Amino acid sequence: MTVPGPMTSGPAAGGASLAGKRRARPARTWPSFRWVAIAVIMVGWFVYYPIVDNFIVSTTNQDIYTGEVEYVGLDNYARLLDDPVVWTSLRNNVLYAVISVLFQVFGAFLLAAIIEGLQDERWQRFWRAVYFVPSAISITVTGLLFYFIYQPKSGLLDAALVALGLGEFVRPWLGSEHTAIYAIIAMSQWQGFGYSTLLFALAIQKIPRELYDAAILDGAGPLRRLWNITFPMTREMTGLMIIVTITGAFQVFNEVMVMTAGGPNNSSQVLGTWLYQQGFIQNDFGYGAAIAAVIFVVTLLTGIAQLWYTRRRRVQL
Amino acid sequence: MKRSVHIVAIATATATAIGLSAGAGFSREAVVADPDAKVEYSGTLSILTKFGLQQLSPYFVSVAQEYEKLHPGVKIELIQESDDSIKGKTKTLVASNSLPDIYFTWTGSWGENFVRGDRAVDLTKVVGPDTVWGKTLSPAAVKAFEYNGKLYGVPLYLDAKFMGYNKQIFEKAGVEAPATFEKLLESCDALRKAGAAPISFGNKEAWPAVHYVGQLLAYNVPTATLERDFDPAEAKFDDPGYVASLAQFKALVDHCTDGAAVNGTSYAAALQAFSNTDAAMYYQEIIEFDQSASADTKLKAADFGFFRLPPPAGAKGDVKAIEGAPEGYMISAASTNIPLAIDFMKFVTAPDNAKVLSAPPYGQPSATIGGASEATMNPAVVAGLKDISEATYLMPWLDTANTPRVAAAWLSSLQALAGGTMTPEGVMEEVRKASAADAKRK
Repeated sequence: MTVPGPMTSGPAAGGASLAGKRRARPARTWPSFRWVAIAVIMVGWFVYYPIVDNFIVSTTNQDIYTGEVEYVGLDNYARLLDDPVVWTSLRNNVLYAVISVLFQVFGAFLLAAIIEGLQDERWQRFWRAVYFVPSAISITVTGLLFYFIYQPKSGLLDAALVALGLGEFVRPWLGSEHTAIYAIIAMSQWQGFGYSTLLFALAIQKIPRELYDAAILDGAGPLRRLWNITFPMTREMTGLMIIVTITGAFQVFNEVMVMTAGGPNNSSQVLGTWLYQQGFIQNDFGYGAAIAAVIFVVTLLTGIAQLWYTRRRRVQL
Repeated sequence: MKRSVHIVAIATATATAIGLSAGAGFSREAVVADPDAKVEYSGTLSILTKFGLQQLSPYFVSVAQEYEKLHPGVKIELIQESDDSIKGKTKTLVASNSLPDIYFTWTGSWGENFVRGDRAVDLTKVVGPDTVWGKTLSPAAVKAFEYNGKLYGVPLYLDAKFMGYNKQIFEKAGVEAPATFEKLLESCDALRKAGAAPISFGNKEAWPAVHYVGQLLAYNVPTATLERDFDPAEAKFDDPGYVASLAQFKALVDHCTDGAAVNGTSYAAALQAFSNTDAAMYYQEIIEFDQSASADTKLKAADFGFFRLPPPAGAKGDVKAIEGAPEGYMISAASTNIPLAIDFMKFVTAPDNAKVLSAPPYGQPSATIGGASEATMNPAVVAGLKDISEATYLMPWLDTANTPRVAAAWLSSLQALAGGTMTPEGVMEEVRKASAADAKRK
């Protein structure tokens, strides 16, 4: 057995001799795998086993009280197609994704460009902090905060509308099937906007100043500089943010649970909360696992797209 | 990132819990409590309670401390959950075969699940009506935990639903406690005219609407039909009393509450509005009386009154029925120290502890005979208990009496009915569909 050590694996020991180079390879021998075995087992057990097991569970009907398991093949997946709440949930997830991309990617990009365009660095720091603060608040606290803002009659939003003479727009924001999901999405934008802005600000800071100086000399105005320099030079970050935002929109859970628990009448359900409802409320774990499988496939595909995009668009500065 | 962690956590919990339960298995043998078993006062007892709320949580803490003081070899571990969180928590514990030694349960299908899965100890020989312990407990409350002719639960307190009202607001509006449902609607109109919000109603959690409808169903649908319909294999849900009850509920929402806005208000906020004297009435459980009106609330006990939700004229069900049920505890069949668990529950339900439970600040009317001391209790709770004892039928909570899928149909459809996006017929259609799906699954 070769014992790896500083005298055998370090450059000093290896020198230029062939023997030294051979001795630099013992890290690849079997005994060294012992050191990563625990990590591999942990990852396998906690990450990959539940994924595989989830697919197995999704092909069964299980009674958690009796422990009885009945194999039903793809029946739970067939049920997904006939379940109107699944379609409502999917629609809400897509809405979440589209609105989040608009606000947290393109809106945040514009805001970051404006902040980074400020001349005084102290103001830049100030506005970055101002927009980032909501991201530092826990989602449960934010959910409760907005629950009070949206309260019918006594809530801040309705009071503001009345004060502005817009009383006709007063409504039970979380209590109406038509507005509940939008009210939740709006809260989510409020919270996530600053974080995205900060990431875009960092990307913009990496752009060489010379490009802007040259553009100014060429007579380019702020909008042209934004379109011809800032936007292309942050394309990698934009692509990444789009994918991260879409993935996040399909994994949304806390916001909905805290504010409406999917109601009223399941109008604000998303796949995550419907999964929870099926498994932990209706004891239908097999069906819940089938919903989890759908979320997994959607987020996996988005993840693959993310990898593909970042490899293709990597910018060398 | 937080979101993904959460989703992964749920999926992992679901899959792993199911995987473990399927793989590891558990005892499928019925466990019967032995009344002569010797109690070993050593080891740890774990208890899942529904007293997670700040006002209630000290009760089990102090009882556990007293028990530990009496028996130094025993350590009590408490898991205290709220009314909402205990549902998910219990199922997670069941799925992972980790039920504590003693756990909270409702009556109806909720409790039946534990019995069906042989997860509850048969307590007939220790808590039955002829036993020493059984004689100290309300017989009706003990019987509420009867399944297949055997007793599985230890009732801790009694519960039922009443309409609490603010006497001062009623007096100012010239309104009296109504005797019929129609009079209640008229009272709401009169209160509104007088500038008061008639009923404070928060239905964000969906179960508060189920409580209104449960009581109306008891009035409008014959009891035998109701009980038949709790079982999906037999259920028809075709009695005209169902649609009539739902129409009455919708009329109540329209006349007496904020209408569709109720779905955006939590039940806790509604209770707060009532105890802040911002509303004239609030439909509440007897165990909430001490939260509605106390020394710390704007609404004082002297101004608090209550009445049963009044029955509609010509109702075809049981007009003397009241919605409510005792709530209690079961002992896990997997417990390694069943005699100790039984002994602890005997201690919890002993008259001295029962009196503490019945009195403010807890205000949970004990199921122990002699466990309610009128000297220390809120007079409204005492009067409510008397009313419960006069009821001819205890209508179980709809969301625990029905199977989870049917309960879910009631919950979501009633939100739609309150919000004005579904008709009473539409609600019944959804309930029938859920029941049929359950029958097919079984």
